[in-house]
Amino acid sequence: MGDRERVVTGQVLSERDAACADVAQQALQDRVDLGQDLLVIIDAHLHVDEVPALGWSLEAAHCIRRLDEAGIDRGVVMTIVDAPELNPQALELVAEACAAYPGRLDAFARIHPWYGQESLDLLERAIGELGFKGLKLHPVTTIAHPSGEDSLRLIRKAAEHSAPTLFHCGDEPLTTPLAVAQAAAACPEATIILGHMGGYFHVDEAIAVAERFPNILLETSAMPYPAKIIAAVERLGPERVLYASDGPACSPRIEVEKVRLAGLDPSAERLVLGENARRLLERVS
Amino acid sequence: MTVDSLTFVGESIFGVGATVEELLAQLDAAGIERAVVCPLKPRSYRLEEANETVAAAAERYPDRLVGFARVDPNLGDDACRELDRATNELGLRGLFLHPWEETFRVHDACVESLLEDMTLPVIVAAGYPWVSEGLQVGELARRHTRLTVVATNGCQINISGLGQVDAELALAENPNLVVQTTGVYREDFIEGVAARFGAERVLFASGFPFFEPRLEVLRVRWAPNLDEHDRALMLGGNAERLLLGRVGRFRAEPGW
Repeated sequence: MGDRERVVTGQVLSERDAACADVAQQALQDRVDLGQDLLVIIDAHLHVDEVPALGWSLEAAHCIRRLDEAGIDRGVVMTIVDAPELNPQALELVAEACAAYPGRLDAFARIHPWYGQESLDLLERAIGELGFKGLKLHPVTTIAHPSGEDSLRLIRKAAEHSAPTLFHCGDEPLTTPLAVAQAAAACPEATIILGHMGGYFHVDEAIAVAERFPNILLETSAMPYPAKIIAAVERLGPERVLYASDGPACSPRIEVEKVRLAGLDPSAERLVLGENARRLLERVS
Repeated sequence: MTVDSLTFVGESIFGVGATVEELLAQLDAAGIERAVVCPLKPRSYRLEEANETVAAAAERYPDRLVGFARVDPNLGDDACRELDRATNELGLRGLFLHPWEETFRVHDACVESLLEDMTLPVIVAAGYPWVSEGLQVGELARRHTRLTVVATNGCQINISGLGQVDAELALAENPNLVVQTTGVYREDFIEGVAARFGAERVLFASGFPFFEPRLEVLRVRWAPNLDEHDRALMLGGNAERLLLGRVGRFRAEPGW
């Protein structure tokens, strides 16, 4: 196994655990020093999966280690590929990850919309039986338009449980804010989260569609502009912006610092970093 | 020492801008000692003016800033003359190309003629669809092996990570290609490049004022799986070696 593989499979991580523990302790102390000991931080977008074709191995332990480094209390995990294809066991993989860390990890179900009733049954099982808290759709991997009837059926099924739908929302076709907004318009009863809030070049568009559709929330992961976080909070209100990292490959610690660099007032920062996500997760039935 | 290998001063037609004082304040806030500074595309479209703005900034703060020139390869001989003037008269030490804003593919013939006899380092605004995708920048590096080709944004801009394989292929095939960390998606991409190709192939860059230096520097400072030697190379050592000295030249032919 080469160095590259050691990094992506996390073997290097174990060699640096001692350093990570120091960082986690410092992050906790920083929060105490800042009077933030009561602040709950929730990372609304993390991944667990094995994707050999890409050389990616993202384990729950990696997520927990990265959360600990950043002083983050809880995280929402999902797979990289979808159920039932490419991975018929995707729900079980995520459920097992959450079960291994009770109280730390919640689950979103990543489901391919093309499989009709099977897709709906998987989502019903995920939320109704396994305790998942939301649906994740990634139109790049599924080639399913957000406003396609297959996608809308899943979004509506999630909404029946008061569960949100998190979309990958970036610069690629099928994923832009205007494309996802078509789904928000068709399903006003659903909560639609724009993951990455438009990526690199569609952030202003994401804020604009969220202004237009009150059922859209924005999620900050990997989007590289702190100034756009405060712009979103000012235009939409702090209740409609969620912190997330897209970790563990993206650093939750750096992504938290990005929110802090936005310079929100403390009450808004509290909402963005955790309170908004807590409310979303708790209302799922 | 921390070196930011990509910053800008001036006013861009696209609505961003910074004075040299604003740049230095941002560098200070992020604990960055030195920077490569490049021109923005001005409202006048005249890159000559922008090169002069950068040269004045570098001349005023020689211990902090090194200036690079920007030309539009579509202008043919005029681009060569301006690169000659900017490097040999204004004292700028490298070339910055922005295929997206000037509208050319980075491996177009117009770029070939510009780079034919040049040995200055070249920074390419990379990862833009159709004009500077990872393998297109790799093709530029393949055709000009004597040049150091520096690709912004990790040589890929995609928040699904879809451009990372092409970026890694370009790095594997072209030892003269290095990548910057500007806004890059996934810190483990940076770590993976260092592990697979060597930390010498990665330069910290903020891309200010498009990006925030206090955030961008953390992608290297806080990347969890770098050893301290590699981290130091990425934060400054590589840029000192590749970009800060007078490491090449360009001279227009008399006929131009």
